[in-house]
Amino acid sequence: MSEVDGQAIEPQPPILSFEDAGRVHGTGPKAVRALGPVRIDVRAGEFVAVMGPSGSGKSTLLSLAGALDQPTDGTVRVQGWDLSTLSAGARAALRRRTIGFVFQDLNLLPGLTALENVALPLELDGCPLREAREEALGSLERVQMDRLAHRFPDDLSGGEQQRVAVARAFVGPRALMLADEPTGALDSVTGEMVMRLLRKQCDAGRTVVLVTHDASHASWADRVLFLKDGLVVDETRTPSASSTATPLPDA
Amino acid sequence: MSVRHSLLAILAERPAHGYGLKSRFERDTAGIWPLNVGQVYTTLARLERDGLVVPRDDGGGARQEWRITKPGRAALAAWYDAPVAGDPPERDELAIKILLAVATRSADAGRILQNQRTATMRRLQEYTRHRREADPERELPWILLLDAFTLKAEAEIKWLDRCEARLGRRSG
Ligand SMILES: Nc1ncnc2c1ncn2[C@@H]1O[C@H](COP(=O)(O)OP(=O)(O)OP(=O)(O)O)[C@@H](O)[C@H]1O
Ligand SMILES: [Mg+2]
Repeated sequence: MSEVDGQAIEPQPPILSFEDAGRVHGTGPKAVRALGPVRIDVRAGEFVAVMGPSGSGKSTLLSLAGALDQPTDGTVRVQGWDLSTLSAGARAALRRRTIGFVFQDLNLLPGLTALENVALPLELDGCPLREAREEALGSLERVQMDRLAHRFPDDLSGGEQQRVAVARAFVGPRALMLADEPTGALDSVTGEMVMRLLRKQCDAGRTVVLVTHDASHASWADRVLFLKDGLVVDETRTPSASSTATPLPDA
Repeated sequence: MSVRHSLLAILAERPAHGYGLKSRFERDTAGIWPLNVGQVYTTLARLERDGLVVPRDDGGGARQEWRITKPGRAALAAWYDAPVAGDPPERDELAIKILLAVATRSADAGRILQNQRTATMRRLQEYTRHRREADPERELPWILLLDAFTLKAEAEIKWLDRCEARLGRRSG
């Protein structure tokens, strides 16, 4: 895994880390702790799923990871950068260049075609129009949506819209994808197709953090974190690929 | 699992000898439930006693081939026609463990739920990995079984979540 062009490289620092990071809303007796403090490291190329009951802090975790919100305690780092030390401009640039989001709803802009939606983050980042569109088309191709690139979101099915959203999250060189219930409204077959896409992105070296209520979707991840009352109460890893154990049904 | 009816199902297609039945059964069920060949021979002897199979005239010994009879086909059809009874469910160790932990307070039920969920999730990850690696053409029986195991594991996780929510509501 840690090989580039056949050349072994040094183990990298985590692409995302929570160093005793947490988020408290409000102050005094009315303060509500939404998250933490938690200690989480996500390595580049890893696919991490986050599960937990409603209100356990999953979306808060993603907002902190994506620099959409600031921790009230501890430190959140992306690619080694302490997010709280970055200027607002630098944080916005990091969000555009490094981080992609997929939200459950609020996904695509209805006035733009699929292609324009995917190209938008690049254009906002100052990329020339033609280049941005070319790049966007490539990204749509990876989710097998290039054929429908010129449709408006309203003329796409829910699953197709989700695939466009995934393409947008991974357009350009962005390395970290944060997805909050991206399969919420999808049937199981389309949901699995989105998981396959995320898995492929990770196998190609990108990193995914996925919030989901669906255990079978979480099972596509390398590691599953369970949150409860804002804390990580448990985690799993997949047995290594070399494991030959055959799963047996319960006796 | 009904070894009797499984053997009848295979023999309904064409006559076979004991070892052939074993390997055919294991291939068609993705090798998940190994049959020992001794079990195959004792089952064949009982099927013969009941008139559901007969030895083919030629051959003998280990190479003895068996053929399904008319009453054998009827017994097989009846098996296929009868839906599998799921009620009452088989004794379920996980359910019993959790119910007793809650009722007798002899253990921390929350901890048991959490441990089990992690273990079941790990199993689910393994099923998903196998399914990803399986060849959809050649390994269809295996994929169908993995689907069944996956959905059962998923249901178990949902049930554990629900237990946790109900217990939390009671104590909180
Ligand atoms: N702005 C806020 N002010 C006060 N409390 C908040 C605020 N935002 C979130 N919370 C609280 O923080 C906790 C965690 O919220 P969060 O949205 O992270 O949960 P979640 O795990 O994503 O839940 P769900 O599965 O329902 O989406 C909740 O109890 C929520 O009420
Ligand atoms: Mg949420």
